[in-house]
Amino acid sequence: MAQNRNKPIKLPEGGQRPDQWGPWAMLAGAVLTTVGFLMAFLFVGPVNGAAVSGVEMIGGSMVSSKLLLSQKIFFFHMPAAMISFGALAFGCYYCVRFLMTKNQRFDTCASVCMEVALLFIVCTMITGDLWTRFEWGVWWTWDPRLTTYLILMLIIIAYFVLRSALDEPERRAVYSAVIGIIAFVDVPICYMVTRLIPSSLHPVVLREGGMTGEMGATVAVIMIGMVCVGFGLYRMRFRQVRLAQRVEAVKEALDD
Amino acid sequence: MAAKGKGAAPRKDEPAIETKKLSKAFGTRKAVDKVTLEVPRGAFLSIFGPNGAGKTTLLRMLATLSRPTSGTARLMGIDLKEDPDAARDHIGMISHNSMLYPDLTAEQNLLFYARLYGVVDPEARTLEMLEAVELKHRRLDVVRTFSRGMTQRLSIARALIHDPDVVFLDEPYSGLDPHAVDIFDDLIERQRAGRTFVMVSHDLRKGFDMCTHALVLAKGRVVAFGPKSDFVFEEFADLYRHTVGMGVS
Amino acid sequence: MPVSLRKPSTFQQYKTLLRKDLEQEFRTKEMLTSMGIYALLVLIVFGAALGQTTDGFNLLQAAGGLLWTLLVFTSLLGLNRSFSHEKEQGCLEGVLLVPLDRSVVFLAKATSNVLFLLVVEVIALPLFYFFFLTGQPLGSGWPLLFVPLLLGTVGMAGIGTLLSTITVNTRGKDVMLAVLFVPLTFPLLYACASATTAVIVGADGFMDVFFLSSVLAGGYDVIMVLLSWVLYDFVITA
Repeated sequence: MAQNRNKPIKLPEGGQRPDQWGPWAMLAGAVLTTVGFLMAFLFVGPVNGAAVSGVEMIGGSMVSSKLLLSQKIFFFHMPAAMISFGALAFGCYYCVRFLMTKNQRFDTCASVCMEVALLFIVCTMITGDLWTRFEWGVWWTWDPRLTTYLILMLIIIAYFVLRSALDEPERRAVYSAVIGIIAFVDVPICYMVTRLIPSSLHPVVLREGGMTGEMGATVAVIMIGMVCVGFGLYRMRFRQVRLAQRVEAVKEALDD
Repeated sequence: MAAKGKGAAPRKDEPAIETKKLSKAFGTRKAVDKVTLEVPRGAFLSIFGPNGAGKTTLLRMLATLSRPTSGTARLMGIDLKEDPDAARDHIGMISHNSMLYPDLTAEQNLLFYARLYGVVDPEARTLEMLEAVELKHRRLDVVRTFSRGMTQRLSIARALIHDPDVVFLDEPYSGLDPHAVDIFDDLIERQRAGRTFVMVSHDLRKGFDMCTHALVLAKGRVVAFGPKSDFVFEEFADLYRHTVGMGVS
Repeated sequence: MPVSLRKPSTFQQYKTLLRKDLEQEFRTKEMLTSMGIYALLVLIVFGAALGQTTDGFNLLQAAGGLLWTLLVFTSLLGLNRSFSHEKEQGCLEGVLLVPLDRSVVFLAKATSNVLFLLVVEVIALPLFYFFFLTGQPLGSGWPLLFVPLLLGTVGMAGIGTLLSTITVNTRGKDVMLAVLFVPLTFPLLYACASATTAVIVGADGFMDVFFLSSVLAGGYDVIMVLLSWVLYDFVITA
């Protein structure tokens, strides 16, 4: 493993090369996401190029331009959802690494990953909910995906509540690592259970049709942009926490 | 199943406790920093130091309750990192917590621990220990009804139920009145034979009087260690005050 | 007098630990009375909540969900209690000083939690029937109810034991347990509520739903109990 350099270090390291990329990644992410935003509205036509004037009947249901525009949310919703799960996967990986090595660095990595994951989950929830409102006409339904994301959000909030309820750093690290791993295993089960068990309450989810080339390009741009934002946030926050730990260590060393 | 006696037989020539550069750290915070010690068998080691000096952390590592980050520790010749279970047969611990279930009777508590350790004939051993701490007449009473002194006496019986070679005492006097302290000391004195004791206590005078070896820790590091004959109490107290002062600043 | 030790088998140690929990409960009856009374109180709250429903309301369809609401809250109470005894006088440390496999502690505690929960269920279930379901046409397959009950109890006790070991060391432990327990057991609750409703209502083809839900609940149990068992060593030594 690249991270497992066994150097005898006195102070927690921080602010090295990858950390310096943080702001640049953020900038690139901001630019790309903005470009993607503009593309979504200007470059891609509403739903595979369809446009309606006023309200028309398509396939037996009332469709208005507003409804078609609501599809634009998808361009942000999908990348945010994928990145939040990616961040969670990284967090889980660091939790496992922490339990294996008991190295405080991995605990910091895991908690920062979880913070990024939580941020993107909240974005996913908000965009998803707006879409649900326009598409299904309700603010909330117990649809498998919505339910899973709600549960995921609650677990990650619980992760941070647990962290704040523990004072001893090592114990906090071990407990939160255990919860991180359980959360990662629990979420797919949650999705499967809510998906497989039929319930009369669920509206039928229409599968999205294939994406056109321009839709794919837009999604890709936003996706890359959001990965950059996620990475940038991760590095910057990591740097901040790490430097705070460094300051603590220096203070302690000065105490002697 | 053949009677194996005690897990791994302790080697006769090894000291009771031997540590080399034993450390416990998390991040950069070092609770115990490179402690090297050798405590002969039958000794009584008192550990002194201000709050946060790492006394309890050291004790917990030696008692296998917490894993060292680096360094080695051997107890009766058994490596604590490699085979903590073998070492646990030789370890007893008395702390300010009694480790007794308040809703069980004295007898049930001792039987529970005796069975967990696998003492042969747990009933007989329980009675023997109850007699040794003079609580036989209360054996059917629930521990919750006991006074602090009685609970602590029963705690001695619990810690010694499997006849350990090394006994750790973690602030055993907290909450005891002077009379109970005398009884406690008396009981410990009777159980001294052949056993090694390690005590953490804030009571400087008392800890110094009882010990054969003294260890002063500050910020996880050894400030002074040696047999009692190396120290004169007044000088020792000065040294201690100095280290406590260090700890406070 | 020399004391000889004979290393007890893991199963003997498991029995000793379990026996200790049962002896303690037998003496105080604390868990069972508090859980039992709590279950009764929740039933009364249900009574108030459902008091305004009209005849057209099909209580049968909500019964499975209500039953699981009752069980979740009751088991939360019990799980909170189960480790406070161990912590009160540092008993857990006393147990950890003994040479034993750490997962035995998990298995013994999870078993005692399952037993206490089952006893409470045996009391609460007839009461639930008495208060809400008499006169309702139960599905013919209702005795199959015990399958989701058992699966749910095992799963909740398994992961709950791990979580209560964690939360007993935190500030505000009662709330903390609920915050972790409810989202993490959500899939299990969903599956169990579905299976329970299926057998209580007994609509056409209920066996398919029942079977699927039970298999999913069982899968959750296997995965989560194994995971808790593996991770328990880290938690208990931290």
